[in-house]
Amino acid sequence: MTTAAQRKKAMKEAGYNTFLLKSEDVYIDLLTDSGTSAMSDRQWAGMMLGDEAYAGSRNFYHLEEVVREVYGYKYLIPTHQGRGAENILSKILIKKGDIIPGNMYFTTTRLHQELAGGKFEDIIIDEAHDPENEFPFKGNIDLEKLKKLIKKHGAQKIPYVSMATSVNMAGGQPISMKNLKELRTLTKKHGIRVIHDMTRVAENAYFIQQKEKGYEHKTIKTIVKEICSYTDGATMSAKKDALVNIGGFLAVNDWDVFEEARNMVVVYEGLHTYGGLAGRDMEAMAIGIGESVCDDHIRARVGQVIYLGEKMMEYDVPIVKPIGGHGIFVDAKKFLPHIPQDRFPAQTLAAELYLDSGVRTMERGVVSAGRKANGENYFPKLELVRFTIPRRVYTQAHMDVIAESAARVYQRRKAITGMKMIYEPKYLRFFQAKFEKL
Amino acid sequence: MQTIIEPFRIKSVEPIYFNTREERITILEKAFYNPFLVHANAVLIDLLTDSGTSAMSSHQWAGIMQGDESYAGSTSYFRFEETIQRITGLPLVIPTHQGRAAEKILFSILGGKGKYFLSNTLFDTTRANIEYSGAEGVDLVCEEGKHPSIPAPFKGNMDTGALKKCIAEKGAANIPLCIITVTNNSGGGQPVSMQNIREVKAICEANNIPMFIDACRFAENAYFIKLREEGYRHTAIPDIVKELFSYADGCTMSAKKDAFANIGGFLAMHDEKLAQLCRNMLIMTEGFPTYGGLAGRDLEAIAIGLTEVMDEHYLQYRIRSIEYLTNHLIAAGVPVMQPAGGHAIYLDAKEFLSHVPVEQYPGQALVGALYIHGGIRGVEIGSLMFGKYDADQKLIPAPLELVRLAIPRRVYTQSHIDYVAEVIIEVYHQRDAIKGLTIIEEAPMLRHFTAKLKPVD
Repeated sequence: MTTAAQRKKAMKEAGYNTFLLKSEDVYIDLLTDSGTSAMSDRQWAGMMLGDEAYAGSRNFYHLEEVVREVYGYKYLIPTHQGRGAENILSKILIKKGDIIPGNMYFTTTRLHQELAGGKFEDIIIDEAHDPENEFPFKGNIDLEKLKKLIKKHGAQKIPYVSMATSVNMAGGQPISMKNLKELRTLTKKHGIRVIHDMTRVAENAYFIQQKEKGYEHKTIKTIVKEICSYTDGATMSAKKDALVNIGGFLAVNDWDVFEEARNMVVVYEGLHTYGGLAGRDMEAMAIGIGESVCDDHIRARVGQVIYLGEKMMEYDVPIVKPIGGHGIFVDAKKFLPHIPQDRFPAQTLAAELYLDSGVRTMERGVVSAGRKANGENYFPKLELVRFTIPRRVYTQAHMDVIAESAARVYQRRKAITGMKMIYEPKYLRFFQAKFEKL
Repeated sequence: MQTIIEPFRIKSVEPIYFNTREERITILEKAFYNPFLVHANAVLIDLLTDSGTSAMSSHQWAGIMQGDESYAGSTSYFRFEETIQRITGLPLVIPTHQGRAAEKILFSILGGKGKYFLSNTLFDTTRANIEYSGAEGVDLVCEEGKHPSIPAPFKGNMDTGALKKCIAEKGAANIPLCIITVTNNSGGGQPVSMQNIREVKAICEANNIPMFIDACRFAENAYFIKLREEGYRHTAIPDIVKELFSYADGCTMSAKKDAFANIGGFLAMHDEKLAQLCRNMLIMTEGFPTYGGLAGRDLEAIAIGLTEVMDEHYLQYRIRSIEYLTNHLIAAGVPVMQPAGGHAIYLDAKEFLSHVPVEQYPGQALVGALYIHGGIRGVEIGSLMFGKYDADQKLIPAPLELVRLAIPRRVYTQSHIDYVAEVIIEVYHQRDAIKGLTIIEEAPMLRHFTAKLKPVD
């Protein structure tokens, strides 16, 4: 626990960037749901069964079997985390000048696409950019936008569609099974692959079960497997859905891509039977994947997020609707309408929340969006503060504290002023940028 | 007392799965005579590597339970940082998921076409990362280091004459870095003397070239300095270590060796500008600078391991057990690298299988024979790992054809080691029956990991 004075000092030292706070100065840490889950007793038992052999570890074969069984992908390359898989996949599939359509950008994903010489094109439905719109599947792909891209550039310029389940930057919004099926039909016709960013696939499956006709009696496990069946491969950060603190993988159905990836993984990550992970971490991942597709787990997980969101709505705090799967996204443009976007309203709000209660959140707006190739800022429509809920870590009492703090800051919002950036790194600036209060 | 006991008790055991010689013949055939493709549970004694295969201590496991998994600003990170600063004196610390990631970052910043990296001997992944950037790696090990059967105290030393000549030839401006690998892994786990490090540093300094240490086995090297170099007999290991790093502008480290960790690595340096470039790159491929692609618990385990490794009882046991095995083999006439190195024994496959020409990969053939005969898994360090092809696709062999049997730290006991000696000696007596191998499939880089082979008729 910290005092207001301690927090003031800590926040200033961190350049008003919550990423640069020390964790011991944080009371409730909602910076990310990535790698912050509590593992189960079974996972901890699995940790003790790590086979740390450099080649051919038992844990690898177990993980491979689980990925085949739960997700249905044929070939597995473990990586130390999701961005390791994105790096390898982008280098294999993308040629200079290629176009990669996707349902909204994600920071590291887009960066790897750009570094490989490709250009990302957003093909998410327009509803996703409107925080007020209550459409249940705001992660859907606008197939007309995709058709236009194919017509303009030709299918051969599009190595794959990057399809995320539970679209993070849109507020954890799901894609519907119907949309996915249509995407598969269209891409199949043009010989374009669909690559699945599957880090929160189980949470997406829960929304399909709850909101899509015909799926109300299907288990999460069945729905997850069906989602994967409409795709050709996946990158996974297992630090989210799969309930581990470290790990990820690349999974593909295509032998040629697999072979190339297997040769490349040795250079970047580690031999293909450990991919830069300890054996015990592969074991924890294999067990975590099984737990992540249990109906009871997902119901409690998403239920907790919805509880927090509803509580905030009671206090009139403007949030992205409908409530997503892994966190609450507060609309900073609406929260602080008097701060223009180039004064970083979301960054400012995240700092204010920390100062109020020691709750650490994250900016997902203009700072995260970064700059275009010509040096101009991207000004995203969504200027959000993300309250990401780690899995199985906090209780309902913690959720109450968070909502109350957001309400208190909302009460005194008019007195809050914007900020200016005083240090800006070249890539992924949100991680290390520093600010000053105006 | 004559007997040196293992300075630990065993708290938790992992079973060995036994199989028969006949089963192993089939397994090896199915793995295309490449031990990297054999499942670990088909191996009796796994000496493939000492990397990531150590047994952690009870303290380290306790540290594992205390990992702070915060994405940013984790308490475990600050403990990790403070430990490395204290041990090495290097102020800027960057965690990575393992050593090759630290190298990847460093060389993609400093490397590029027309650049040369000079070293005593670069290891396989280090060399691959350098070449991947377009630069060239140059090995300048001292003359003694090139002759496996001639004993000398510091066979990992860099040839300072050759270093000066190489700098003059290539031009200091084209040499972004000089790297001293301690101990010299590819050259037989042989140590580098403090004197040599000092001289190399002076030459580098005169030419404005930064010197980095590839520090994977820094404690083993420090122990050899204590044993063999004049003036260090009464110096404590942490002080030797500190002096060793005091000459360096930075280091790369795979914590999977001398930090007893199963995963992890780091970069450390003085140069603030270089560190910032490294951190920017780190975020893209590894993770945020306070976790670098590692779980918080692994940062804890590394910090604890780095301190444990400098214990002299441990180092005495470690170095003596390698020596014990080496001496057994020498007594039986087996051609083995002399003197014993720090982490492995190296069989001289060219001499062991003098009837197998280098084009038939005698090292890999010997690896196969050891597996079939005793279920021991070793690794070839010779022309399969380092060989290249000339314009006519003819093999340019590596200078040495070695088989490395790396001993994992704190994992096996003396009776395991006795068994290993017995297997090697029996194979030596039957060596004439061992056939060479030919490659049927290979990757363009780091081919030894996935290459497929078959016996020559």
